[in-house]
Amino acid sequence: MAETAVSTRPDNARRRTRTVRTGTSPAARLLERSWLIAVVFILWWVLSARSTNFFVPSLQEILAVLARDLSSGVIPDGAAYSLTNLAAGLLLAVAVGIVLGLILGEANRLRQVVDPVIHFFRSVPQAALVPLIIGAFGMGQGPKIYTIAFACMWPVLLNTIDGVLGVEPTVRRFAKVYRIPPGLYFRRVVLPAALPQIVAGVRVALPIGITVMVVSELFAATRGLGFYILNSSATFQVPETWAGALFVGVIGYILSVAFVLCERRILRWYIKSGAK
Amino acid sequence: MSNQARTVDPGLALQRLLAVAVLLAVWQVVVFSGVLPSMTPGVVEIAAAIGSTITSAVFWASLGKTMLAALSGWLIAVAAGTGLGLLVGSLPRLDRSSSILIDFGRSFPVLALMPVVIMMLGSNTRMEIVVVALSCLWPVLVQTIYGARRQEAAVVDTVRTFRIPKLLWFRRVLLPGAMPFIATGIRISASISILVAVGVEVLSQAPGIGRQITLAQQAQHWDKAFAYLFFAGLVGWGIALLLQTAEARLLKWNRQANG
Amino acid sequence: MSLQTAHSPARRATEQLMQVRGLTMSYGSGAAENKILQDLDLDVRAGEFVSIVGPSGVGKTTLLRCLSGLLAPKAGTISVGGQQITGPHPDLAVVFQDYSRSLLPWMSTRENVAFPLQGKGMGKAERNALADRNLAAVGLAGQGDKYPWEMSGGMQQRVAIARALAYNAKVLLMDEPFASVDAQTRFDLEDLVIDLHTNLGVTVILVTHDIDEALYLADKVVVIAEKPATVVDVIETNFGEVRDQVETKADPRFAEARARILHRLRDH
Repeated sequence: MAETAVSTRPDNARRRTRTVRTGTSPAARLLERSWLIAVVFILWWVLSARSTNFFVPSLQEILAVLARDLSSGVIPDGAAYSLTNLAAGLLLAVAVGIVLGLILGEANRLRQVVDPVIHFFRSVPQAALVPLIIGAFGMGQGPKIYTIAFACMWPVLLNTIDGVLGVEPTVRRFAKVYRIPPGLYFRRVVLPAALPQIVAGVRVALPIGITVMVVSELFAATRGLGFYILNSSATFQVPETWAGALFVGVIGYILSVAFVLCERRILRWYIKSGAK
Repeated sequence: MSNQARTVDPGLALQRLLAVAVLLAVWQVVVFSGVLPSMTPGVVEIAAAIGSTITSAVFWASLGKTMLAALSGWLIAVAAGTGLGLLVGSLPRLDRSSSILIDFGRSFPVLALMPVVIMMLGSNTRMEIVVVALSCLWPVLVQTIYGARRQEAAVVDTVRTFRIPKLLWFRRVLLPGAMPFIATGIRISASISILVAVGVEVLSQAPGIGRQITLAQQAQHWDKAFAYLFFAGLVGWGIALLLQTAEARLLKWNRQANG
Repeated sequence: MSLQTAHSPARRATEQLMQVRGLTMSYGSGAAENKILQDLDLDVRAGEFVSIVGPSGVGKTTLLRCLSGLLAPKAGTISVGGQQITGPHPDLAVVFQDYSRSLLPWMSTRENVAFPLQGKGMGKAERNALADRNLAAVGLAGQGDKYPWEMSGGMQQRVAIARALAYNAKVLLMDEPFASVDAQTRFDLEDLVIDLHTNLGVTVILVTHDIDEALYLADKVVVIAEKPATVVDVIETNFGEVRDQVETKADPRFAEARARILHRLRDH
């Protein structure tokens, strides 16, 4: 399963090969990191301002609509609904994924037996589940949460298994020699040792969750950000459609940045120890 | 795990079949128990639907359309992502300047953009290819950048002392050095391509497997919907296996060199 | 030692080839300036084998990186054949300590050796023939199709040496080339380098922290020490052309030179 798991440290690759440059001021660094975004923004603004295409509104108009619906509470309300579903689904996926992963990671035979089944299920395109689950269980919040949970579980599960398999044999032997009871062993030895991989799995699951969240609402919903986008496009409110899609993108970005910050916090011991 | 699977172990194969059988039995019990909504099809119905689906022309046509859209979008993404990634990854200034933009792009749920793309291009295969390409671009781009960035100090020194010309360096050092990372990106994006293609079809009127699932569900043909879901999973699995094998074979040096 | 000939050209070093004057190097600037090298002078004659020896961390690698044109010095000049160098130079070839990383794992050994020649624009047949010849010269005849990772550390370092030889530079710069191999391999590689130097007449500058190695290999040992590093002694060895791991090292002159270097390093 090793090849199916995702590396724990793509973000560290940057640190390893680039030496820190001294002598540049924070302002210069900020400018260096942000000029391209400014250019893209200005280009979009200028080029879209003269747009005569009905489906390509000016950026100014999109942002005005976005500001209006943000302050009126339409978008915040939808975001609250969507993000609640996301959080619930993700939590469910993480809980189930970790527990199953710890068990399968330790039980070698069982893991080999169910391996094809796991790989089949994780290969099912998550979006294809949406019509079935929503069709069967209705448009409520529950089915959306289950769909998100189902889609997000596989990366967490696979990475947990990989993390458990990666526990140092010496550590394993040590636990055996000192006759650490199973409960304590899982909680204080295997779980922390596998944590970097587990967190990496959650990092992979997060964007999948966001996508499934949006798709489940684009398919059929009465609330949420996806519903906002769908409803706007169905009623030909073009700037609103753009604004909704853009807002979802910003949410996705904020969540992934927040996740990386949390990850650094949680895994400080791991990053500092420089473990490979 | 796939290595272990390849060494034939009759006991294991049998147990695996048993595991599948147990799973199907559980499914049947759950259906009978009435926990799931009444329209949920049983094992026999799904199996029959799988049988009738595989012989239907509609299935093969929609499979072909899904694959074509996924493949086209994926190829566009691989070409664009590799080229752009090598450029960005080998130029530290550009790398730093573009990092926020790329982080934004990779965390963008591209399917949310679909209604916008539909408005501009219509609900067709062309739109599907665009959305697939936009989704597949990021893993390739990000992985390629990692690969291009990660140049061994010793290799950089070697290239400099032997005064290797830029073009030769690009072709024989940078590209192969980044290749293991690029391959990972290509592999990840291949899975994404199928996923997004099916997702687009589920949500729009673009033809393909996903569209068939939605249609079957709307017509209350649940057994057929499950059959299509089964094939969608099979295709995703097959592609993942295929690319894993190809990668292991083509990048033998990487595995060996890194022990 | 079978390759030794009585009239080998190598030890008749006369003509000045490389000249270093007032080499000064530091990292950082102002209060944070960390001086590594201070006013270093060095003369190397054509065909000479020069060892630069100094304790670990004295700045040997920095010195070699300056000599090879990879690092621009803060002050001072380095010239080869009367021409001042400003960057990597076709007359200079480097063998790195980190052989396993400086060889490209996606290329066969032949391709690795031929690669710099491809960079020079040489045709495929010609550069492959040259690569094979140089692989044979380092004792790897017929191994061109193997990949570096199929070889032991000592063999990999031989490939790196072959690559430097094939580049046909006037000066071979070696940075602790045998620091990461076991003792027996190390002796074999030392004798290989002596053979190559004697037979091909190539000029060698080798940096090491091992006093015995420095003395055993070189015509001239340059001792660097202090912080920032500077030349504290230069010793011309005269153990003759033929060297032997046992006999040369048992030579009383060897012991005498060894003691002198140890004293020098301890005094600083």
